[in-house]
Amino acid sequence: MVIHELGVNELAYRIRDKELSASDVVAAISDRIEDVEPQVQAFLHIDLEYAKAQAKRIDQLPAHELERLPLAGVPIAIKDNMTTTIMPTTAGSKILEGFMAPYNATVVNRLEAAGAIIIGKTNLDEFAMGSSTEHSAYHVTRNPWDLERVPGGSSGGSAAAVAAQMVPAALGSDTGGSIRQPASYCGVTGFKPTYGRVSRYGLIAFASSLDQIGPLTRSVDDAWLLYQVIAGHDPLDATSLTQPIEPRSAEPVQWNQLRIGIPKEYDGEGLDPRVQERYHQVLSTLEAQGAKLVEISLPHTHYAIATYYLVAPAEASSNLSRFDGVRYGFRAQGNDLLEMYERTRAEGFGPEVIRRILLGTHALSAGYYDAYYLKAQKVRTLIRQDFELAFGQVDVILTPTTPDIAFKFGEKSEDPLQMYLSDVFTVTANLAGIPGISTPAGLISGIPVGVQWLGPALQESRLLQIARGFEELWPSGPWPSLGGDL
Amino acid sequence: MSLSEEQVKHVARLARIQLKPEEVAQMTVHLGAVLEYMSQLNELNTDQVEPTMHVIPMTMPLREDIVRPSLPVEEALKNAPDPRDNMFGVPRIMDGGEE
Repeated sequence: MVIHELGVNELAYRIRDKELSASDVVAAISDRIEDVEPQVQAFLHIDLEYAKAQAKRIDQLPAHELERLPLAGVPIAIKDNMTTTIMPTTAGSKILEGFMAPYNATVVNRLEAAGAIIIGKTNLDEFAMGSSTEHSAYHVTRNPWDLERVPGGSSGGSAAAVAAQMVPAALGSDTGGSIRQPASYCGVTGFKPTYGRVSRYGLIAFASSLDQIGPLTRSVDDAWLLYQVIAGHDPLDATSLTQPIEPRSAEPVQWNQLRIGIPKEYDGEGLDPRVQERYHQVLSTLEAQGAKLVEISLPHTHYAIATYYLVAPAEASSNLSRFDGVRYGFRAQGNDLLEMYERTRAEGFGPEVIRRILLGTHALSAGYYDAYYLKAQKVRTLIRQDFELAFGQVDVILTPTTPDIAFKFGEKSEDPLQMYLSDVFTVTANLAGIPGISTPAGLISGIPVGVQWLGPALQESRLLQIARGFEELWPSGPWPSLGGDL
Repeated sequence: MSLSEEQVKHVARLARIQLKPEEVAQMTVHLGAVLEYMSQLNELNTDQVEPTMHVIPMTMPLREDIVRPSLPVEEALKNAPDPRDNMFGVPRIMDGGEE
């Protein structure tokens, strides 16, 4: 048994059974991180001393207390846009360098209350804005499958840490696909729940009406376990939902009773032919299982990127106005208050964040609000209605997660529009608020590719049951050969 | 719809971000291209469409009007670049110039 190869469920089970101690697990994870992290660079902060102390505490708990902790002793990494009191929180930005939050994000508290050990904070595109993790102010993260390629973004550090087996699971945040797209690029499972299912308290806000926290794991079962721990109403987040979390369906999916929607708008122009071929292989496999494939139309998909890149920057320009050199971290000198603000923000934010703040400020400014922001919110209604109509005909929708596989460093970073287009299949779920999960669908020339399952709002249980069924039909192969011992 | 450099400077001022002249030129090109792409939304007639403000129907939640402890002052000031006398220090606003 190689400890760092074990998933969340397996680790938790063995630790509860006293077959493994939490200290053994942390020691194994430390070795793995030491071995692999210099190549991958998935983390911004790692605190192994804290992890060791937590492990020791867990190992001293009596059996009946361990029984009550679903994640006892399981090391978890957290995307660095969620606040932690024990480690800095930077959101990948210089403007928050050294920031020590006065409170934990609710998801962090819930993980710790379930016995998880927070081992570090993962790299991300600055303020979660990007699709490659090249826009972190600190360093790039490399795709463990091919170190010349990006891990995707913005939760690229979390996806890479899980794929490189440095942690069995990590949390990411998904505003336009930032969990599902890097999951696809790194060959892991990435799950975005329904908007409002998971508290955003302590998540450094990017676009408040779209952001959602979710897990990145090496299996659907592990995603489910983490989801159950972090989901549920939180009085500290006024937008968090009060509807109860459904219990997981343990039954296998009955493919011959399933209607799978195949949106024609996701299967054509702009899709890498290799990704398209794999998508069609997946569809044939499901059809052979008896699933009914139903061609559907989501006619406003074509407008999703334009809608998203008006709504998200508009909300970002408002959310990021709090970073002004007065209360947190970095301040540049200025002769008066205005100059101090303007220099602090110019020097503290990177170019992609500045680009989006300016775009959002313009979209909200006098004379342009109706033409841009309001127009986009109306088109958003049309996109939501597309899904409502579609879910009248089908149980679930299946698409490629991304139009391409992980690209090489620098390939898209000079052309913002090109970069934005890599989110084309994922943004619609955020605009509509529905849950989505990316599951691996094997490799193309040694690089992972994923497929995306979309379900109706609040039907996470059903969605995960289907994704798990697919995982059994299409099991993941070996993990990337890093560190020389796999 | 493209943007002029003057418009970009105006937006930068509203956003409280100082841009160097070469950045103004670059942002003008980038934002122009992105806004040009956005203009495809005008192909859709949305006169009768309500905007989406919340994806999930919800009512405004209100908490009980009970006084609760807030973040302690020293915690709130912990990350400030210039904490002074239990306050956030900033450059002078009146009279201009250095302190």
